Amino acid sequence: MIKKMKNILRIIGMSFEIELRQNLTDGFVMFGIVIQPLIVAFMALWMLKDKGSDYAIFVVVGSAMTGLWTTLLFNGGNSITGERWTGTLEPLVGSPSSLRIVVFGKVLANVTQSLLSMIGCYTLISIAMGYPLTLSYPFFFLVSIVLTIIAFVSFGVIIASLFILIPDFQRLQNTLEFPVYILCGFLFPITLLPGWTTPLSYILSPYWAARALHGAAQGTLEINQIFLSWGMLIIFSAVYIIGSGSLYRLVLKRARVDATLNTTG
Amino acid sequence: MFRRFIMNIQIFFEGSILSYRALFRWLRPMTYIASKILAPLTMMIFFVFIGAYASGSNNASFYVIGNALIFAASSGIFGVTMSIGGERWSGTLPYLFGSPANRMAIFVGRAFMHILDGMLGVFIGLGWGILLFGLDLSQTHLIPLLLTILVTTFSTAGLGLLMGCVGLITRNVMLVNNTVYFMLLLFSGANISLESLPKWMQIVSNYIPLTRGISSTRLIVAGAGIDEILPMLLEEFLIGFVFTLLGFFFFSAFETQAKKLGTLEIF
Repeated sequence: MIKKMKNILRIIGMSFEIELRQNLTDGFVMFGIVIQPLIVAFMALWMLKDKGSDYAIFVVVGSAMTGLWTTLLFNGGNSITGERWTGTLEPLVGSPSSLRIVVFGKVLANVTQSLLSMIGCYTLISIAMGYPLTLSYPFFFLVSIVLTIIAFVSFGVIIASLFILIPDFQRLQNTLEFPVYILCGFLFPITLLPGWTTPLSYILSPYWAARALHGAAQGTLEINQIFLSWGMLIIFSAVYIIGSGSLYRLVLKRARVDATLNTTG
Repeated sequence: MFRRFIMNIQIFFEGSILSYRALFRWLRPMTYIASKILAPLTMMIFFVFIGAYASGSNNASFYVIGNALIFAASSGIFGVTMSIGGERWSGTLPYLFGSPANRMAIFVGRAFMHILDGMLGVFIGLGWGILLFGLDLSQTHLIPLLLTILVTTFSTAGLGLLMGCVGLITRNVMLVNNTVYFMLLLFSGANISLESLPKWMQIVSNYIPLTRGISSTRLIVAGAGIDEILPMLLEEFLIGFVFTLLGFFFFSAFETQAKKLGTLEIF
């Protein structure tokens, strides 16, 4: 049991390291992590500046969330597409290591490095633009970040499976970027949206992550409301991780039956 | 002389249509729908709602027009850049530079279809604005609007041609594309009124495509006629023209240099 756990951690560690090294050579990764969130932060801050300086921390968190999601969507997905293009997806699937564990390591690397978005936005708004930034509940904010990372990684593992199963899925990447910004309330509350979209927000773990982070940063949520968001993040993460086991078995079976593993979209 | 002219026209249109088809792989329309219709729509919705949240009132038309015109930049920047830069990635650049075809026809031809496509994109954007946000075009004069959209798409395609040349000498073409696109979003006044921007940003916005196109469109939708927007349109056209010339200069310089040094396919 311990040996198996060690093996899993070793595979995650290797996958994490390789993904990180590959990303460092890719300029587009830096765009998603640093440039785009900073531009979004600047625009959002300028648009929301009449709401007062309290909104600066809201913009920092919201813009960083956009970076987190964009990185997860593009880099997580592209890491699978990249394996496909370089012809290594088949050997990866054929190796004795679980593909799900390898993908977990890749997504973990992407999500971890995308935390740079938050540091970048904080630096821009606090130091470069001179807005005072204070966290209302620093401890709750820290716990929220940890739970956010876990939730995003779990979500990313599910998303990556779609890239394996559907070679054409990459074409939808651009279309999926902004809807999550909108539905998850990264930079405006979802109460502005039509009521029928609210259930869609509730089933997306990034919504609960944004809710917890905004609430802890601004102090706009009661403690029990933050706990509710944490609970939802834990539930979603557990569901995604448990569900991903069966999903990956199904995905790989389908990919083998349809012979789509090496098919580029 | 006349025969050569006809041949150049033929190269212009054939090159333009083939590179466009190659880029979007027309056998799968999903690519087009996803990247040209749905993705810009979701971006428009995002900024309209931030705007609504910021102002607390319904001034959606400001953001709808700004983001509809951004559709032009989407074709002008991404489409044109990929059409030129894509020659290198797909290994067709040596054949292109080995051919005796007129370089100007090849180069500018790469932008032609994207200008038409960009115009269509702006119409789609305005259509979404009417359907989803009640954009009111009752005061709008059609001809000035069409002219503004054409000139704006041309000027962003001019920037795209220049960026395409950058794509010939860098591996990170997507980084360059996306950065320029988001910079346009920031500096052009699409989502933030120009007057409220810092002075240095207003100066930058004066020298980039799209700024005057967006301002003109807002005026036309408010009922302005051609006389009021003509000076801005001429400047917008001039900016596009200068970028196109700059792009062609770099394209020619790249060809000469790459042939001399044997670096045509070095990444």
